[in-house]
Amino acid sequence: MKERRGYKWLMYGVVAIVLLLPFGKSFGDTTGKIIIFNAGSLTIPLAQMEKDFEAKYPRVDVLREAAGSQKCARKISDLKKPCDIMASADYTVINKLLIPVYASLNIRFATNRLVLCYTDKSRYANEVNAQNWHKILGRKGVVWGHSDPNLDPCGYRALMVLQLAEKYYKIPRLYEHLIANRPKENIRPKSVELVSLLQTGNMDYAWEYRSVAVQHELKFVELPDQINLGNYKYDNFYKQATVKVTGKKPGTFLTMNGKSCTYGVALVKNAPNAEAATAFLQYMLDPQGGLKVLQKMGQPPFIPCRVPTEAMKSLLPKPLQNLVEVKD
Amino acid sequence: MKHEPFFWISVSCGIVIMAFILLPLIQMMSAPSVGMLKETIQDKDVVRSIWLSIYTAGLAALISFVLGTPLAYLLARSAFRGKRLVESIIDLPIAIPHPVVGIAILSVAGKNYWIGQILSELGIRIMGSVTGIVTVLTFVGLPFYLNATKTGFEGISPRLEKVSRSLGASLFSTFFRITFPLAWRSMLIGLIMCCARAISEFGAVVIVAYHPMIAPVMIYERFEAYGLKYSQPVAVWLVSISLILFFLLRILTLHKVKE
Repeated sequence: MKERRGYKWLMYGVVAIVLLLPFGKSFGDTTGKIIIFNAGSLTIPLAQMEKDFEAKYPRVDVLREAAGSQKCARKISDLKKPCDIMASADYTVINKLLIPVYASLNIRFATNRLVLCYTDKSRYANEVNAQNWHKILGRKGVVWGHSDPNLDPCGYRALMVLQLAEKYYKIPRLYEHLIANRPKENIRPKSVELVSLLQTGNMDYAWEYRSVAVQHELKFVELPDQINLGNYKYDNFYKQATVKVTGKKPGTFLTMNGKSCTYGVALVKNAPNAEAATAFLQYMLDPQGGLKVLQKMGQPPFIPCRVPTEAMKSLLPKPLQNLVEVKD
Repeated sequence: MKHEPFFWISVSCGIVIMAFILLPLIQMMSAPSVGMLKETIQDKDVVRSIWLSIYTAGLAALISFVLGTPLAYLLARSAFRGKRLVESIIDLPIAIPHPVVGIAILSVAGKNYWIGQILSELGIRIMGSVTGIVTVLTFVGLPFYLNATKTGFEGISPRLEKVSRSLGASLFSTFFRITFPLAWRSMLIGLIMCCARAISEFGAVVIVAYHPMIAPVMIYERFEAYGLKYSQPVAVWLVSISLILFFLLRILTLHKVKE
């Protein structure tokens, strides 16, 4: 009798496994690691997205590596490091360094803008505002900085804001005057590294993306839309700002023109785990998923996300096609 | 020993370790072309950064020598309550992640802290200055000097010193006439270790000072801005020049011993 009961349980077990098999398979495909190289300014929202996504897909492990957007691309193109998804703070970096060899897609998914961060210990912290910030940055003894324009888009964008300010406020030579008050020593590789300089009282003001300021709970001055590089309606005005950054080899230069801050994400060709990476993008580009997280963290998303051409849209994995529109 | 299995195990482990250390280095050292190396060393920025690396590391070793020698002697010669604690504190800089070292030093040097306030009154700046670089390098290099020197002092019999003292020499003169001549070789090894550690430091320095650029920071900057091709030659030059310097130091010391 006992033996028969054993058989019965075994039968139930087999039936249960057979019934669950189809579900097992559909979840089963999204397992393993997803490697994401991301711009430093995306670290915090991506950490939240990782949490949400892994709750949905417990068998997936999202591994994130934050660096400057250029470095992220270099890690893929030069070091051939395996990577599934590359999220850049400047979508043109993907165009410049990854397409067509290392990626064929470039989805614009969010925006950002520049703000001037400070703490309550900063010099002139109780006077600074959207009207007088450029006077304060020009004062002797005020320590302010930005990230390296050659390594971090936030760096050349900070310089662009200063150039645009010169035009917007109609103050001749304002840019030169301000740069003269910013010794080279105040530059850091990545803009996020400036945060610790602010917090430790080694620096008074730093140029950051709005999102970074919100996430690190810094005080910040919001600038007019005409100069903050956050509103694509002013792209024609932004275009007047030009910054020379280093090119492909020492001694060569590229000219970057001002344009609104637009984040891009790419699915890397030969991604070690394309299946899971697609699932992650499906979550990330969903207005109720990743885009909502971005919104909360100070980075206004594009709803829906944008790709430049019909051709690129048709290259997208099927589940992603409904989440994007074609818009230049 | 020769026919025992243990001997063969030791030999094969040795070969694995040698290959593990040497293969990646040889690969890196041989990657850049001669033309590329030539072009790199003619670049004034590169020369400046390698020179800055060498002399800041040298200064760190010098500071470690001046400040560390008496403490190393004390630790080698006397037993006191809390000695273990002092020894563990000395080892701390080895264990702390490098960026944390940088942030820690900046947080002491900032306006939000009294030391930072005093420094800024005195006009001394840590962020983005050679002073800052030397501070960081001393922080990371000091334990290596202290430990090597302490071991050196421990190897000298206290009896020799006691004889000297009993003949009327002061502690000071005993140290310079008996202890120092016997221990200077391990002190030199300590200095080389300290220098080597300092020259290789990147993570802490890049937080405290990106400009002026020491060579490891420049290697990083070149890698990010231009890719591997332009960062490798700088690395090759830094490694070769440091190796030659350390090699010369070793030869000098061996030479003097023979005399």
